[in-house]
Amino acid sequence: MKFSCERDVLLEALAVASRAATGRGGSLPVLSGVRLEVGGDRLYVAGSDLDLTIRVETQVKGSQDGVCVLPARTVTEITRALEAGAVSIESDEDEAHLSSGRYRSSLRALPADDFPRVPALTRGDGGVTEGVVNLDVGDVGQALRQVVRAASSDDARPILTGVLMTAEEGGLRLVATDSYRLAIRDLPGRNVLGEGQQVLVPSKALAELQRLLPSVSEVELAFGDHDATFDLAGVRLTTRLIEGDFPNYRQLIPSSYPNRLVVDKEEIQGALRRVRLLARDATTPVRLALRPDTIELSVVTSDLGQASEEVDSKYEGTEMTVAFNPGYLVDGIEATDGDEVSLETIDALRPAIIRGTGSEEFLYLLMPVRVS
Amino acid sequence: MNAFYASVEVIEDPSLAAKPLIVGGSGDRGVVASCSYEARAYGIHSAMPSAQARRLCPQAVFVHGDHARYSEYSRRIHDVFASFTPLVEGVALDEAYLDVSGARLLFGPGPRIADAVRRRVRDEVGLDSAVGVATTKLIAKLASKAAKPRATLRALDPGPGVVVVEPGAELDFLHPLGVSALPGVGPGTRSRLERFGVITVGDLAAIPLDTLTASLGPSLGRHLHELARAHDDRRVEPERAVKSVGHEETYARDLVDADDLRREVVRLSDAVSARLRSSGLAGRTVTVKVRFHDHATITRSHTGPYPLDTGPELARAASSLLERVDSCSGVRLLGVSVSGLAAGASRQLSLDWVEQGRAAAGPGWAQASRAVDEVRSRFGEGAVGPAALLDERGIRVRRTGDQQWGPSDDTRQGKS
Repeated sequence: MKFSCERDVLLEALAVASRAATGRGGSLPVLSGVRLEVGGDRLYVAGSDLDLTIRVETQVKGSQDGVCVLPARTVTEITRALEAGAVSIESDEDEAHLSSGRYRSSLRALPADDFPRVPALTRGDGGVTEGVVNLDVGDVGQALRQVVRAASSDDARPILTGVLMTAEEGGLRLVATDSYRLAIRDLPGRNVLGEGQQVLVPSKALAELQRLLPSVSEVELAFGDHDATFDLAGVRLTTRLIEGDFPNYRQLIPSSYPNRLVVDKEEIQGALRRVRLLARDATTPVRLALRPDTIELSVVTSDLGQASEEVDSKYEGTEMTVAFNPGYLVDGIEATDGDEVSLETIDALRPAIIRGTGSEEFLYLLMPVRVS
Repeated sequence: MNAFYASVEVIEDPSLAAKPLIVGGSGDRGVVASCSYEARAYGIHSAMPSAQARRLCPQAVFVHGDHARYSEYSRRIHDVFASFTPLVEGVALDEAYLDVSGARLLFGPGPRIADAVRRRVRDEVGLDSAVGVATTKLIAKLASKAAKPRATLRALDPGPGVVVVEPGAELDFLHPLGVSALPGVGPGTRSRLERFGVITVGDLAAIPLDTLTASLGPSLGRHLHELARAHDDRRVEPERAVKSVGHEETYARDLVDADDLRREVVRLSDAVSARLRSSGLAGRTVTVKVRFHDHATITRSHTGPYPLDTGPELARAASSLLERVDSCSGVRLLGVSVSGLAAGASRQLSLDWVEQGRAAAGPGWAQASRAVDEVRSRFGEGAVGPAALLDERGIRVRRTGDQQWGPSDDTRQGKS
């Protein structure tokens, strides 16, 4: 294998693909590498952790077709450190030679045969979609930003590490929950899945997708029986789907709320930012005392101190105090659209709902913290 | 205290006096928790497998031990300590550091206080003890070891009882000791040090810090470098915060069946959570310890987003850890513990109980667990418990101190 290209072209391809590569010391050493393949003037760079594969395709000056797998971190760091200009890589049986200007290095290659095959999408009889769907990245990016944060990072409950994508009234709905909060975003009119069909996509893959979206204008989606692919200009992200039943999230959402608070988004964000500084860790709750014209936010940490701040508000309902994990509350408020945010509650022990006023497309359900 | 558990047993049953006495599990899998000096003369020591102890001294008397009784004696010993200084840091039931620097005006210099403490523990509780007097915790602890009795088959050397290491004389005392006297030096580190020709603490002190950190790693290297110079700036901390709460149990027969393992996890989790709640604590990190048939021991832990203090939550976390362990070769010991402790006052509620249709019942297990605690405090620990623990004899809940040193003979033979 032999090719040359501009340093920036190679660096971008390596940096994107190696995000799917695993750290060293994993069970399959070859997964700490990136696979480089040259075919004509095309270079394909792929990283994979078996669940997620990112493959970048780019234009280079190829002189000899072939494949080699190089340690992802090392080759990316070398390329990053090079001066701008042409880089060439040439590989033989078990070594790759990288040169640029007066720099030369030889890297021991990882066994290319061990590298997992980039899965081709399987569409069996139960295949979820036929063909592919294009989505506008603006909407998708915003939806991911709103929903992915609510997915769990706890591998003990794999189902909750996924984001549910489901067909809903002719549109696409994204749902994620870590069992403490739940985020739902509707993308009306985006027919990605057949009516009534749903898939569970690992949130890690969607977080990677989110990183890549700003540099493209369109994303192409395709779902197979066990995996999904997202095609962006020159980058293909393939992820295994999570098997299993997502919790029945609909029954979690209460049908009506007796208490409704409306407050300026920036004001409450500022107040939260300040009172939160006296929370020793994420588990110190912030209390909201809900009253007709103002609400009071407060944090008490027994051996550190306490802080409180009042914020003007419109509140209809019973006066009460409800407490939340400050991080989860900030996440929910931050995810809403619009200048005002509403908080609807039943009581201090049941789920509360956060929405941007005037937007029906996003909903954030949050369980309170019980305080004594 | 000298041979604490064994000495307590002798006080309670004087016919055991002057016999080789072993407190611990008498079954095949038991371990020696404590033994009298008569037993030590045969080479028996604590943590030795009981089967080996029995081979060394077939006439040894085994008693199973009584945790509640030792706690009571411990309380009485600590009462004596507290009458000298409020700065008492309990390390074990029978071991404590006393900072007497502020008590010297009242009771005289350190060595005199040491004699007084020993005498009063002897007179008021009936136990023999050994006291080390020094300027740091490290030296005081090592001096107390030097003050203990030593047993041989021919005679029992009662030991000096009190060993005083005067200020300035720390290195003279410390350097002739073997390196394994230092905390942090186990058999592995010792043999690694021996390869450098390091036998005594003095040898260790002569090794440059760089060499030590290169061969032992930065943290252990620096730690030993400090200790070998008798540098120890730890204070006596009267209320050492509890770092973890846990239970473990050795089984008379290896557990293989997944249902049996699951039931034991429920049982241990129930007991651990009850202890957490009784101290007003909850913890985020759940650790499962598994010892396999071949004695290989592993631990697996998981840190969740919220502190737990109820049995079902804890059992769920521990079970999911255990599911990822290949236990088909058989499990001889299982342990469940919780760390990352914090006061359990506030609690993140979970959508799970909403999903399970219990929205009206309030925050699930927290309330149920409080009710369980109240029932148990009135009617005893076996009055209520997880259904999984029910058998024809009632609810097999785990009690503090149960089977601490392995199952005894009778459980091995399946009697009750």
